[in-house]
Amino acid sequence: MEYAAVKGRLLTPVNALLALVMLAGVGAFVARFAFGLGATTNLSDTYPWGLWIVFDLAWIALAAGAYVTAAVVYLFGGEQFHGIARSAVLMGLLSYNFVVVTLLADLGLPWHAWQIAIQRPEHSAMFEVSWCVGLYVSVLALEFAPVLFDRFGWERLRDLWKRLTPVYIVAALGFFVYLMSHSPLWGVAALVVFGALAVILPRKATASEGGLPILAVIAAVAFSSMHQSSLGSLFLLMPDKLSHIWWSPILPLYFFVSSIVGGLATTIVLVALTDWAFGRKQQTEVLAGLARILAGVLAAYLALRLGDLAVRGQLGPAFAQPYFLTEVAVGAILPLALLVPLSRKTGAVFVLGLLTMGGIVMNRLCVVLLGMNLNGPTPGGSPATYVPSPVEIVLSVSLIAALFFFYLLGVRLLPILPRNGDDEGAHELPGHLRRAHPENAAVTSPSAGAS
Amino acid sequence: MSKACLVDTTRCIGCRSCQVACKQWNALPADRTATHLKSGGYQSPPSVSAKTYTVVSFHEVADAKAPGGMRWLFTKRQCMHCEHPACASACPTTAMHKTLEGPVNYDPSKCIGCRYCVWACPFNVPTAEWDQLAPQIRKCTFCTDRALTPETINEKPVDPQTAERQTQALSMPACVKACPTGALCFGERDELLKEAHRRIERSPDRYVHQVYGEKEVGGTGYLYLSSVPFAERGFRTDLGEVAYPQHTERAMKTVAPAVVGLGALLGAVYWVSKRREEKEDAAKV
Repeated sequence: MEYAAVKGRLLTPVNALLALVMLAGVGAFVARFAFGLGATTNLSDTYPWGLWIVFDLAWIALAAGAYVTAAVVYLFGGEQFHGIARSAVLMGLLSYNFVVVTLLADLGLPWHAWQIAIQRPEHSAMFEVSWCVGLYVSVLALEFAPVLFDRFGWERLRDLWKRLTPVYIVAALGFFVYLMSHSPLWGVAALVVFGALAVILPRKATASEGGLPILAVIAAVAFSSMHQSSLGSLFLLMPDKLSHIWWSPILPLYFFVSSIVGGLATTIVLVALTDWAFGRKQQTEVLAGLARILAGVLAAYLALRLGDLAVRGQLGPAFAQPYFLTEVAVGAILPLALLVPLSRKTGAVFVLGLLTMGGIVMNRLCVVLLGMNLNGPTPGGSPATYVPSPVEIVLSVSLIAALFFFYLLGVRLLPILPRNGDDEGAHELPGHLRRAHPENAAVTSPSAGAS
Repeated sequence: MSKACLVDTTRCIGCRSCQVACKQWNALPADRTATHLKSGGYQSPPSVSAKTYTVVSFHEVADAKAPGGMRWLFTKRQCMHCEHPACASACPTTAMHKTLEGPVNYDPSKCIGCRYCVWACPFNVPTAEWDQLAPQIRKCTFCTDRALTPETINEKPVDPQTAERQTQALSMPACVKACPTGALCFGERDELLKEAHRRIERSPDRYVHQVYGEKEVGGTGYLYLSSVPFAERGFRTDLGEVAYPQHTERAMKTVAPAVVGLGALLGAVYWVSKRREEKEDAAKV
């Protein structure tokens, strides 16, 4: 697979508009710290979490595209999807970084955040999520590094990266497991297992991505599945507040499986949008393949969801609940029914992908806000209401704008998208920007490419 | 052994001395008050907040024997100081923590302000300082900072006798010290539980036969006696007896095995598929 930057002007009207929205976001961020959390948001003791947390949870689920795509391409032999791997990783990396920006705004005392690094709570899901997200972002950055090596011809750095990445990943996984289990024994077990994988697998690893160790992909999947599920675990502590249509002892499993759904749907939408935005030929085969995988995972997710509701006797109340119906009927059942028959119609797949994304967003919205039955601080009976404030809305919208802005910028400046045969311009990159690496040259055989 | 407080609501006259004493000891500012007639009682301020750690709730129930056919129910509410607190298990930095002595305490220097404790508490007790640029979490401290022997009073050294008296006076929470009717008792939890059951036994007609907090969410440090079902006082009676941390404990305990297992599984899947590929390639040649 050979990648190339898309040629074109950097300053387009779309980019200018996005930059303007981002500027408003900077204003909102500054206002949040200048005037305080209480003054700029509509949060209260009844609703200590609001739009920003919904936004983070939904975005993290949709950003799962990075690890799902990496798993499909590198672990499960989905060679035909190779061409979307880098854009999925870029999207993931940007998403996680912007989620952290929202979190900084949302934390009351973000300047104490370093305390997470030195404290050892016993069973805090928030602690788990913090560490896991942090380590996953570092793995994402390592996954993304070859793009920069390709672009700037940093070959010595690439060699270093190749040698040190497995070491770092084994250490990170070992440390994380030790931290979560409080048991040196588990830590050593993790070191042994991943150390063994590091020794065994590289010889079998694909030479694609300039030698991305397969261990990095395994770590990405491990860290992702853990923090995605732990975001669900956060709500296990609220059986008295969250409606049992959404609360379930298997919330972590829900969050994990639905992150695969959200990640696949977002990848579909991203691929279609990218090709459309840059006037490239739609990759019908790739989209059809993703649509079929999405249908499979959606079926599993729905079976799990409805089965669990039935077991807990919540199926009746659930189907009488408009929010639930919106989420599941429109966001899951409808796409499931249509994805396979319409898998070759790019427009339809795109719309169904959007609907599925909407279903995941609705799910997180219900879990954080709409499904909550809140009574206000003790002794209760005087709950506040919650509508997001302008600052909350502007910051959220501006970060979505930032995602698009930097994604478009990345695609235009860095080798993210596959070199397009029809796109003559892409071939005219200055030679010094595409200094061939011996290994890269070997990979760039016609057989390795997607259509 | 852990310290606890028994609230015998049948002895409470709704004077709110406890509320005032709490404000004084903790140097808390006044809260904006307003008449409100919602389901949560007639008290003002209506609930605990970062400025009000304890509130006496005023509920009214029909009672033919009472003047006007209505009877007041006064209930002091504050942090329950759970035996297994949800807030502490939620906290990512142990800023909120259970002490060996019983109180659930808060260390602002560790707090990142995520407010997960506010969400997690089944009694909706922790509150945030929404009007501050650096909002800390606020709730009843069980007056842990009181059990001190002062070395000086008015900048003069303290003689042993005065020190002893001071220590005794400070050895209980400000609210308990202020209660004029003996509705509040401070002591060891198991002894207070025995005392509560003794009172029910002695006056079976005076009390409903339940000590709220004995078993709720795995037991709490505040124990309540009541003459009417606790729901009529605004207590939640559907919280169950499972200690809240258990809800996440199981999930968190599976993280380590899951990471190792998943890693090994993915490695194996990859290795097998590559091997098959290699064999197929070899067969083709």
